Amino acid sequence: MAVDSIALMRGTLDALVLKTLTWGPMHGFEITTWIEQHSGGRLDVEDSALYQALRRLEERELIEAEWGITDNNRKARYYRITSGGRAHLRAETSRWLKYAETVNDILTVATKA
Amino acid sequence: MRIRSDVRRLFRLGLRRPELARGEVDDEITFHIDARIEQLVALGLSRDEARAEAMRRFGDVAQARASIGASAARRAARLAFRDRVAALGDDLRYVVRSLASSRAFTLTVVATFALAIGANAAMFGIIDRLLVRGPEHIVAPERVKRLYISLSDEIHGQETAPSFGYVSYAFLRDQSRTLDGAAAYTHGYEYTLGSGPDAQRIKVAHVSWDLFPLLGVGPQLGRFFSAQEDHPPDGQRVLVLDESYWKRRFGGDRAVLGHTVLLDGQAYTIVGVAPSGFTGVELRRTDAWAPISLLHPTKDWPTAWNVEYLQVIARLKPGITPEVASAEATLLHRANYTGKSRIMPSAQLAFRPISSGRSGKESLEASVSRWLTGVSIIVLVIACANITNLLLARSTRRRREIAVRIAMGITRARLMRLLLTESILLALLGSACGLALAYWGGALIRTMLLPNVDWPSSPVNGRVLLVALSLATVTGVVVGAVPALQTRRLDLTGSLKSGSHQAGTQRSRLRSWLVFAQSALSVILLIGAGLFVRSLLKVRSIDLGFRPDRVLSAQIAWLRMVNPTPEESERERTRRRGVYIRALDRLRATPGVHAAALAVGTPFGNSFSPDVWVPGYDSIPDLGGGGPYVSAVTDGYLDATEIRLLEGRAFTPGDRAGSERVTIVNEPMATALWPGQSPLGKCLQVFTKTLPCARVVGVVGQVRRFALREKPAIQLYVPFGQETGIGGTVLLVRTSGDPTDFIPLLRRVLRDVDPNVPYTFVNTMQEDIDPLVRPWRMGAILFGILGGLALAIAAIGLYSVIAYMVAQRMQEFGVRLALGATTRRILSLVISRGMFVVLTGLVVGQFVALLSANYLTPLLFETSTRDPLTFGAAALMLVTVAILACLLPAFRATRVDPVIALRAD
Repeated sequence: MAVDSIALMRGTLDALVLKTLTWGPMHGFEITTWIEQHSGGRLDVEDSALYQALRRLEERELIEAEWGITDNNRKARYYRITSGGRAHLRAETSRWLKYAETVNDILTVATKA
Repeated sequence: MRIRSDVRRLFRLGLRRPELARGEVDDEITFHIDARIEQLVALGLSRDEARAEAMRRFGDVAQARASIGASAARRAARLAFRDRVAALGDDLRYVVRSLASSRAFTLTVVATFALAIGANAAMFGIIDRLLVRGPEHIVAPERVKRLYISLSDEIHGQETAPSFGYVSYAFLRDQSRTLDGAAAYTHGYEYTLGSGPDAQRIKVAHVSWDLFPLLGVGPQLGRFFSAQEDHPPDGQRVLVLDESYWKRRFGGDRAVLGHTVLLDGQAYTIVGVAPSGFTGVELRRTDAWAPISLLHPTKDWPTAWNVEYLQVIARLKPGITPEVASAEATLLHRANYTGKSRIMPSAQLAFRPISSGRSGKESLEASVSRWLTGVSIIVLVIACANITNLLLARSTRRRREIAVRIAMGITRARLMRLLLTESILLALLGSACGLALAYWGGALIRTMLLPNVDWPSSPVNGRVLLVALSLATVTGVVVGAVPALQTRRLDLTGSLKSGSHQAGTQRSRLRSWLVFAQSALSVILLIGAGLFVRSLLKVRSIDLGFRPDRVLSAQIAWLRMVNPTPEESERERTRRRGVYIRALDRLRATPGVHAAALAVGTPFGNSFSPDVWVPGYDSIPDLGGGGPYVSAVTDGYLDATEIRLLEGRAFTPGDRAGSERVTIVNEPMATALWPGQSPLGKCLQVFTKTLPCARVVGVVGQVRRFALREKPAIQLYVPFGQETGIGGTVLLVRTSGDPTDFIPLLRRVLRDVDPNVPYTFVNTMQEDIDPLVRPWRMGAILFGILGGLALAIAAIGLYSVIAYMVAQRMQEFGVRLALGATTRRILSLVISRGMFVVLTGLVVGQFVALLSANYLTPLLFETSTRDPLTFGAAALMLVTVAILACLLPAFRATRVDPVIALRAD
């Protein structure tokens, strides 16, 4: 658990989930673990928020779900990104980068001493 | 694993139910927390610590469950709906494919539906206008009634008519306490609007000013006329235009208000336009509305009791029954009556519905339409029976296919849904075609049979559409229900094992019943059609005493003179007479004219009954038909009308104004006044007693004057020019060819004779008679069409049953032929099977017709409802068609090759 964890902005979690799923179908726990690993533990995702995001995305048909069997022989719900989801992710990514760039530009302007 | 949604449906997998979806959410959360605990334990935490940490990381489990569950349930519901729509789409695709593969079946069923639903839609359109909805724009029409007067005397019996003088309207309007007002109107006036080449003949209704407020109608433009403009002794010349006439003649120009137009040469101011479709309380087309006070039938018209030219309508106060209002009207009539008639003081007044005809009963057209609607419903029933029959045959043919589907796991509910989808789709297709038929057919019925009604523009309106669609849905479910329910009793193994051609006897018994019902109903309809045809023939063969065919009657619509002096009017009279006489001479010299004459007073035209005195009689007896009627005619009149000369001579060119006074009497008069003697040479006085007496020179046959059936009346003829006090000359021309070809020539001759001749009204005499024949013609034609339709549908039904039976018993026929049965034997075997069903239906149908035909009596013309010829002809027709329908499959049965038949299956 990182001390300086960042609270996630609304909508950002959706993009992260979609990005995660571009690596292949995963169940909810795998997605959490994947985000934790790739953020180096800096992002604090509350599990319930993740599941709400998953249902939200499913309702918007950006992802779809199917019950499957894990390596440990347990029943789990596997999510996969749809083509709509990929398109959405592309749009979100470029929006986010532009936003971050703009904020970055403003914040990094050399200030008068 | 991903499963295609249709496969999922087929095997009822992955049920998308909201409750199920909520359960899945719980499973998923449990799995997640378990997985997290495993992960934390692997990192070295104790199980309890790991559980606490997992729960902390998850957050509020209860809240998450609720919101995720709701989301999942929402999605499941949406998907379930989508599945259902997709399933319907699948069903439709399947049904369309299977219908397309059996094209003959589909065509037959759709055509049958189209004819039956089309007939019903067309009849509904008519009856809706005639009986259900009535005239448009009337507020609370159930309280608006028409007034009728019933008079009775010893000679005529009781007579009821809606005819009143202005005075009756006035006392009702002013004194009644049960009415919310009364109004008077009279239709059927024709005026020439404008002058010169674009003069037009228009139909004008004169109405009292309060007709519009009484009906609750407001003008579309401008205003209606006011009480001041319609007030005795004289009305203002103001005009309210009909909306469609305003559009036709004035292009819908709003600037017409305040404009002046010439009606018969007199200036009228246009003050308003009535709303679209407004026809007053009748359904007749009217081009314009004018005040009633402009009509002056007599000098003392506002108070006269002996002139009856108006119809009176009233609005009953809420809660007042027609009986109460009628009783009050009768009392008021008796209290107010000041005339000299012997029978008028005891008259009965009564309020009746405005849809009533002249006699106070439902009009003949309306009754015939009501009957025809009933008939078209029977046709629909026959069609349904027939389509059920065809669907049953089809589902029997598809028995194996259906059994396979059930074995594959399709539910019976789904199967029934498929069958119903099929029948409803067929019905909808049929009703679409039927609406096209109703469009053409409805238009035809309107123009041919009910031309006086002011119809809305299209025969298919929203209401007709709605009726057609509801009929389609209901009949679709009804005809589909029987085969669908039969799938429940399907014996699965039996169907799978046996061939497709072996079917349950139960089903074929049901099909025979259906054919039986169709035969019975068709024979009833054929009898109805036959009775109407007989009536029409009877009506046609009526001896009118003259022959109206190929006779043109022409009348010049002279312009009214403004305040003429007696000398001026006399001069004008002579001038007009001269125009007619010169036209007559010209026409007689024209090739193609068989005979021509002038007449004042013609059959089914104007009638005059001036005073007549015969020596030896105090008064002229009434033979029951009123009169005595007097006409003034030129020589050639008997030739032009083909009235029979029985004795003496016709008028010659020498019989004219100023020559010796002569007269021709009709046969009833001769036998009534001079029984046993020759009337020739007798003397009588006409018009006024001061004139010298007229010598009888001829006797002619009786002529009908008003109706197809009427009591005899005394009629006499005087030479044209010797009449006094009667006027309105008509030019009669008997042509050798089609009279309508002659109309332009006739108009040209009149214009040549006098270029200033205004509009000339020309019609054939037949046109005056046709409206009287129309109800029977309408009945005969439409009953005939519907009866023929029913017969055709029944024949198809019989054919399909017999053909099916033959196909089923091919093997049997093969064996019979192999064993030496003759072709004849096979033929009679097949035909007798079909004819048994048809003949049973025939007998039952005849029996029902015999019992129920009495209801038809009032609509028939001198035809017995038990007319044996009609019953025989209907039976013969059904039997002939039925034999033909059986013959085709019967021949097929005789041509079975025994070897092939035995080898099959």
